Amino acid sequence: MWVRWWILLIPPLVVGFTLVAASQFIFLRVSFFQDLGLGRIGDEVVIENYVRFLTDGFYLKILWVTVKTSALAALSTLILGFPVAYLIARMRSSWSMILLAGIVVSTFVTIVIKVYGLIVIFSADGLFNQTMLKLGLFDRPFSVFGNETGVVIGLMHFTLGFGVLLLYSIIQTIPSSLESAAQIHGASRWRVYYRVIFPLSLPGVTAMLLMVFNMCMGAFTSAALLGGGRVFTLPVMIQRIVMMDIKYSMGATIAAVLLFSVIVINVLSIYLLRRLRAAHLVMV
Amino acid sequence: MLKTLKTTVVSLTITTLVLFSSSVVAGKFDDVTLRVATWGGLWKGNIEENIVPKFEAEGGKVEFITGSPAANFAKIIAARGEAPFDVVEILAAQVKDYHELDVLHELDLQLIPNTKFLASNRYNESVVGSWETQEVICYHKDKFAEEGIPVPTTYRDLVHPKISSRLLFPDINSGGGLPGLAGVAFAEGGDETNIQPGLKLVTEMNVLKFWARGGESMAQFESGDIIAAVVHAGWCLRSKTRAGQNVASVHPRINDELVGVASEGWFGVMKNSKNVEAAQWYINEFISADYQLKMATQTGLVPVNQSVFEEMAKDPIVAEMLVLDPEKVSNQLRIDYSKVIISDWTDQWNRAIAAQ
Repeated sequence: MWVRWWILLIPPLVVGFTLVAASQFIFLRVSFFQDLGLGRIGDEVVIENYVRFLTDGFYLKILWVTVKTSALAALSTLILGFPVAYLIARMRSSWSMILLAGIVVSTFVTIVIKVYGLIVIFSADGLFNQTMLKLGLFDRPFSVFGNETGVVIGLMHFTLGFGVLLLYSIIQTIPSSLESAAQIHGASRWRVYYRVIFPLSLPGVTAMLLMVFNMCMGAFTSAALLGGGRVFTLPVMIQRIVMMDIKYSMGATIAAVLLFSVIVINVLSIYLLRRLRAAHLVMV
Repeated sequence: MLKTLKTTVVSLTITTLVLFSSSVVAGKFDDVTLRVATWGGLWKGNIEENIVPKFEAEGGKVEFITGSPAANFAKIIAARGEAPFDVVEILAAQVKDYHELDVLHELDLQLIPNTKFLASNRYNESVVGSWETQEVICYHKDKFAEEGIPVPTTYRDLVHPKISSRLLFPDINSGGGLPGLAGVAFAEGGDETNIQPGLKLVTEMNVLKFWARGGESMAQFESGDIIAAVVHAGWCLRSKTRAGQNVASVHPRINDELVGVASEGWFGVMKNSKNVEAAQWYINEFISADYQLKMATQTGLVPVNQSVFEEMAKDPIVAEMLVLDPEKVSNQLRIDYSKVIISDWTDQWNRAIAAQ
């Protein structure tokens, strides 16, 4: 008997779509009205919020800071995560599973706890700063508060576990026999990485970078707690405008700009990767 | 027959006694659940310890909706005036917004008799004063002495290379944000309509971070991240008594007439409340001499109930941290929020800080 299994997919699809689309629709709609103060919204459809955002250097700078810190955090996650993922993927002992389990567990730890961990480690009297000061490498303590470096560290800390898991699954798909073959033919270890592992993992790495980047673009907690009211990213600005100024329209506008920025950057990245593939600059 | 009669009489007597006794012990607020919008932590703990048992003895129950006054105001707006609480803590800066939204219930001051202990400008028929704070410069005495940093007497004294990046200042969105910014603005020659001089000074200070909750100052004095903080005196007191830090407070000189900055808290009862009488009972308890004294000595806030000033001054740490002399209190800067456009202040703040 032929069963229409796909019918079972309709309810979750409808619920999922409604929940996502309805919320997006509501804030997109609100963004086209004027803020009248104290949460009140005008009746007339206007685009002044968008004009204000796109012509005001203050908002454009915040967009740039958000993109920059997210990109740096994604890149740092890759740089720190790739060797760890490679090591675990190529391990033959049972340690690989233990390490992997450790990483999975670390991703369950709430971001607030992770951030407070960073605050303790990087406090002026903390282990890191005291060691650096004693070694004479710093002349004054480094702080994770109130600067973009701190926010990037916080974002990277938030995404590192997730990034390692993604990279692990990518590296596992690359047969280790290819590395052996390259080495037998005289390639150095560095050359094996550069010419074999990296090109083969590039599509997966791109996907991982985009996922981590997207997570960072929308991350509020790390930026709010470590930014210390000095580093403004779009999610921090949305919270300030919606919760404190109670300007729902402007808050919705910033949220819409954030959403479209993420979509545009993702589409552009995929387009660029395809162009590189087409030009045979990237192996697949 | 006689047995049946006896049983009936006994049953009736017991029933009568039970009904009578239950009416005797019935509380004033039986089955009333009073919803209070206030802060969490020590603030809520004190209320739970001192006011809630008295309310429960009257048969009622208290539910807390914890959050900052700004967050609670946002809830009122989101609920289109139908607030999910009966009584709410309001900051001085918010009073005019509450009036504009017309969400406050008119108070029956006869039911809040403790208002007689409040200054006449601290209560009216829509709001009743709950506390005051004194915004101070809290500094670490040992660190300042070790590093030879002069004790600050003005906000400008915080522009110092050895204090740079080791200072906390209130974020504009925090409870201390508006009085903090007003303090520096007035000290630098500005006023409610011109905060630019204050913003310039804040950027010159090069603060480590702008705090969202005053409690952050306690943690960061402990971790050695900061050696000074612009906070209300209560946080300085708690850094000393709870975090064991050797800190002291300075009430900064604003100009030739004013020394220090005062900020006010208020209570309001929501128009949609079905427990107005209970809400007024709660306010009355909160401003009672007994509770105000406990609250003030534990948290370092200034009571609105003036009958406890003398008793408070007997506590040496409180006396060291706070100004309790009424004449000096009257010489503290108080912001006229009717002249303040808060969204304008916030916008100017965000731009100045982002440009740093």
